[in-house]
Amino acid sequence: MEDVVCTFCGSVCDDGEFDAEKKKVKKFCRLGSAKFSEKERIKAPMVDGKEVSYETAIEKAAEILANAKKPLLYGWASTANEAIRLGVIIAEKLRGVYDQCASVCHAPGTLAVIEEGLPGATLGSVKNRADLVIFWGANPAEAHPRHGMRYSISAKGLLIKDRKQRKVIVVDVRPTKTAKMADLFVQVKPGYDYAVISALRAILSGNADVLPSEVGGVPKEKLLQLAEMMKNAKYGAIFYGLGVTQSRGRDRNVENAIKLIQLLNRTTRWVIWPMRGHYNVVGAGEVPAWEVGYQYAIDFSRGYPRFSPAEFSAVEVLKRKDCDAALIVASDPAAHFPAAAVKHLKQIPVIQIDPFPNMTTLLAKVVIPSAVYGIEAEGTAYRMDGIPLRVKKILETSYWTDERILEEILKRVEKLKG
Amino acid sequence: MLWIKNGIVIDPKNKIKAEKMDIFVKNGKIVPEREVKKEECKVIDASGKLVVAGGVDMHAHIAGSKINTGRTMRPEEMRVVRNIAGKFRATVGRVLLTAPAIGYEYAKMGYTTSFEAAQPPIGALHTHEELDAIPMIDKAALPVFGNWHLVFKCIEEKNLEKLKALIAWAIERSKGFGVKVVNPGGVEAWMYGGNVKSLDDQVPGFNVTPREIITMLIKANEELGLPHSVHLHCNNLGVPGNFQTTIESIKLAKGFSNSKRQILHVTHVQFNAYAGSSWRDAASGAAEIAKVVNSMDNVTIDMGQPIFGHATAMTGDAPFQFTLHKLTGARWSNKDTEVETGAGIVPLVYLPNNPVHALQWAIGLELGLLVDSNKVALTTDYPNGGPFTEYPYVMAMLMSRKMREGELSRVNAYVQKTTGLASIDVEKTLYEVINMTRSLPAKILGLENKGHLGIGADADIAIYNLNPLETDTSKDFEKVYKAFKSAEYTIKAGEIISRNGEIVKEVFGRTFWVDARKRVDMEAVMGDIKDYFQYYSVQLRNYGVEERWIKRPERLEVV
Amino acid sequence: MIVIKPKKYFEVCIEAELTPELATKSLEDVKKFRVYYGNRVVELGELFEVEKIGEEKKLVLEGDFSRVKWIGARMVDGEIVVKGSVGANCGAFMKGGRIVIEGNADDWLGIEMAGGEIIVKGNAANLVGCAYYGDAVGMTAGKIIIEGNAGNYIGEKMNGGEIIIKGNAGDFVGTEMRAGVIEIHGSCGFVGGDMRGGEIRIKGSFDLLPSFRKTEKGWVGDVNVKGEGIIKSL
Repeated sequence: MEDVVCTFCGSVCDDGEFDAEKKKVKKFCRLGSAKFSEKERIKAPMVDGKEVSYETAIEKAAEILANAKKPLLYGWASTANEAIRLGVIIAEKLRGVYDQCASVCHAPGTLAVIEEGLPGATLGSVKNRADLVIFWGANPAEAHPRHGMRYSISAKGLLIKDRKQRKVIVVDVRPTKTAKMADLFVQVKPGYDYAVISALRAILSGNADVLPSEVGGVPKEKLLQLAEMMKNAKYGAIFYGLGVTQSRGRDRNVENAIKLIQLLNRTTRWVIWPMRGHYNVVGAGEVPAWEVGYQYAIDFSRGYPRFSPAEFSAVEVLKRKDCDAALIVASDPAAHFPAAAVKHLKQIPVIQIDPFPNMTTLLAKVVIPSAVYGIEAEGTAYRMDGIPLRVKKILETSYWTDERILEEILKRVEKLKG
Repeated sequence: MLWIKNGIVIDPKNKIKAEKMDIFVKNGKIVPEREVKKEECKVIDASGKLVVAGGVDMHAHIAGSKINTGRTMRPEEMRVVRNIAGKFRATVGRVLLTAPAIGYEYAKMGYTTSFEAAQPPIGALHTHEELDAIPMIDKAALPVFGNWHLVFKCIEEKNLEKLKALIAWAIERSKGFGVKVVNPGGVEAWMYGGNVKSLDDQVPGFNVTPREIITMLIKANEELGLPHSVHLHCNNLGVPGNFQTTIESIKLAKGFSNSKRQILHVTHVQFNAYAGSSWRDAASGAAEIAKVVNSMDNVTIDMGQPIFGHATAMTGDAPFQFTLHKLTGARWSNKDTEVETGAGIVPLVYLPNNPVHALQWAIGLELGLLVDSNKVALTTDYPNGGPFTEYPYVMAMLMSRKMREGELSRVNAYVQKTTGLASIDVEKTLYEVINMTRSLPAKILGLENKGHLGIGADADIAIYNLNPLETDTSKDFEKVYKAFKSAEYTIKAGEIISRNGEIVKEVFGRTFWVDARKRVDMEAVMGDIKDYFQYYSVQLRNYGVEERWIKRPERLEVV
Repeated sequence: MIVIKPKKYFEVCIEAELTPELATKSLEDVKKFRVYYGNRVVELGELFEVEKIGEEKKLVLEGDFSRVKWIGARMVDGEIVVKGSVGANCGAFMKGGRIVIEGNADDWLGIEMAGGEIIVKGNAANLVGCAYYGDAVGMTAGKIIIEGNAGNYIGEKMNGGEIIIKGNAGDFVGTEMRAGVIEIHGSCGFVGGDMRGGEIRIKGSFDLLPSFRKTEKGWVGDVNVKGEGIIKSL
């Protein structure tokens, strides 16, 4: 089957060639290939470690969630929109909390969008037009292996016919694999991205004289060089990653970068965009935005959505012991969350819906295995730049889809809640 | 089955001017009396009440990527709570609304159809996911063509057959309804930091001009026989002096004709009706535009009325949005979209004591008053001008000089010398305003079963607590406003969904799309499309929306 | 005066918009005051011991209130004393009166404060005297005193009033500030980003941004917004 859509990282490459006989995918990178190759699965639904039917597990899950004072519904970034929408509706019905993986990754970008907006573009625009691409705190060579060849580094387009027509800069705290592919590497002292961006803004607004001889480990001459390159680009793009969102400064780092982009657009064209991790983390934010107005950290206790990342992000909710049940969909908080949060997760009944076993499976009271979107189930996902793609069903399975499981949970919750 | 008894019906399409009439509904359609069993009917006593077709909003930004980015940007908008979750969904939103809120608020007001005004073709699936999330209304989306490289290439080659095939292909792939054109050529110019300033500017990188884009798209649209005409957001939106461009654009319709409808619809004209040379001497160009529109029989417009209060500017007119950001210093989002289009979002507030905002407000009303009621539809270009929930305000203003005088006394006096609003005597009648909100928009869109109450029409009906035979719409504007704000009954496909401004039943409407593939030879353009896809970032095979991904698609085939 | 003590262990956080106004009500009415216990609406008396002593317009919260949110929200006068720690959103949108917290405060202390006084004897967390998500203006009047340390985001978008932190603070002190005074007696991180006016005084060390100009008044900036805010040593 041709033009298979990958369901691993935010690049969502859609040119895969799946060999149904060999069950292998050609063209995908090692991360995508791994997703598409056979892996250990959760065999059957379980309650308290005992195998049960889907119906029984779903019944138990609904019961736990409906009786909770504050159920947390978390995950969502590695499932399809159809399932996410049900998750949001269930959270609303339960008057619980909806949060998704972005709250530990790119949520700072969303906070920055609230402060300043998002001056962006789709990946095709970058491929076609960008003569200067900056990876800031992002390392696609490791995390998004085909991003460079498809969209941003060696990708050729309408105006960029040759790699030489594009300059690539990496700004990071140490030389990364991507830095080796770049034309210029700028090393920033860890925790000083915010200051470096302020310096660039000062240079571009005619205030270079105010700057000291070095900012954030970057010598003034290098800052001037960088600013000059940015000013002279015809169409520039900053792609930023967790190096900026999960280090000192977080949302203010991104906000500052957006202000820099606003300034640059007065004399040339620039865009900025986050390098989203999971293949449908964008969907995990867009679906609740149209359903209830916000992208993450949403509480429904009062019967209407309230947004407050400081209170309702999953980690915050768990750290404050502010939930008494959890539904984890397509995620592994037990492995990735801070110890204080995992400690509380172990104290409450956890329901997991996932194709694959992980650390969270070990502490889940109810485990419901599901089909893998993009391989065993069809659904809609949004690429890192928001472009919608339909992921395909290329293999049959007897596993239920997340959508079907959640539909059944919703039915029972509606009955229990009246 | 439904029997709406003794209501006073206004149905401009069928020339019914406030007559006491019974309406019968069966299987979601309006039927003659003989087709129902009266004993089995649910009876609605509409004595002394106004009965009209459900409202048709022919231009609103209700679904898609830019609407959602608007929501994400503005949590302060989403903090206004409208409905607490219970039997129905929680709904929130001040002017920007969530999808469920959009459906419920339209229903409460007696509106039953709404069209998403600008759909980026590559993002069509997102638009449809959001349209599917909106309850109550029937809907559709208009994909944008005015800055699409594939369109430019057909026009460069002066190849009408290719352009027709491209349009048919594009509308099918996006499951869209018609040809929307936004600042033709200007958004492509923005990719280089510029804009177009006249109909004859050359679009950078292509041998085409806005004039050629508009004219050839009209030609193609008409030969294809699409239900809707080309729907144009003119160049130079928001620029003082732009009324000239608008008139020039309108005149491009000369020489074309269609017996069923207009051949060019120009949208939210208020934003394109400014005289003067800068914001310091800006004035109204509405009278000039109205004169031209009234003199032509193949052009329609919609108002784009600003409402004082919060709003959000969101359009495909990316360069304009950046200009607005520079002018106001407000937050700004932008989305350059592959080789197809762009978009921009900027939060706004319209203040009555701000001379420019007052001017804009006055111009919208001038257009609504001066243009013939069979040529101007009522919109606020939601959310650019303001909430669609204030359509009743606009309706009441069009019908009452007294209400306008009251408003004029509280707005900046700048409008006194820069517009003719204060001296306009015109008071539109209820019949005309119902036309502007029902029959006319349905006609403009080419929706034969909407906007009227004739036999065979969809049973989308609104009943208002207003007796047209006893109400003086010129004097009782408060009553008029209140009545239209919440319908006593809103009926969708024969089901009562709202009562006195309260939702009583949740239904989901249909998504209309147009299939014109039988009118063309698709092969004429497939080679070009396949070739140009090297400049896309998705595979051609993965481009587009399949019908089965949409909840309730309804295909309108053009044969 | 009303004295309130937690009756039991709270399984989830409580949202209780308790203000000194409560002290003007009868004991019965106070016990019936509705609070949110997760998604359940419960009466104050179900979760807390409530006592009424005299008519003073004062609330004394005795015990661990660290998981009780919105204490003192929108209050206009009177006094609240928390003999322990307090939860998030304490003193939010406050217009007058006084809140004394003997323990620690959680995030979002004194959101968009418009008058009154908040004193924290222990530490505060993040987001002290800031503007709420998407709002344009933060604190406009009033005084917040933190005896201990504070976290990140202090007095952002401030347009009046005073914030005094006796210990250390984190990053983003006075971001986009227009007026008002912030004092940090210890050390802090990034200060005054996009500041347009107002004054920030720091005793210890801090990370000066490159977009500030050294003058006799102190560091003036943020030049990126043509700001005239002042950062100086205390």
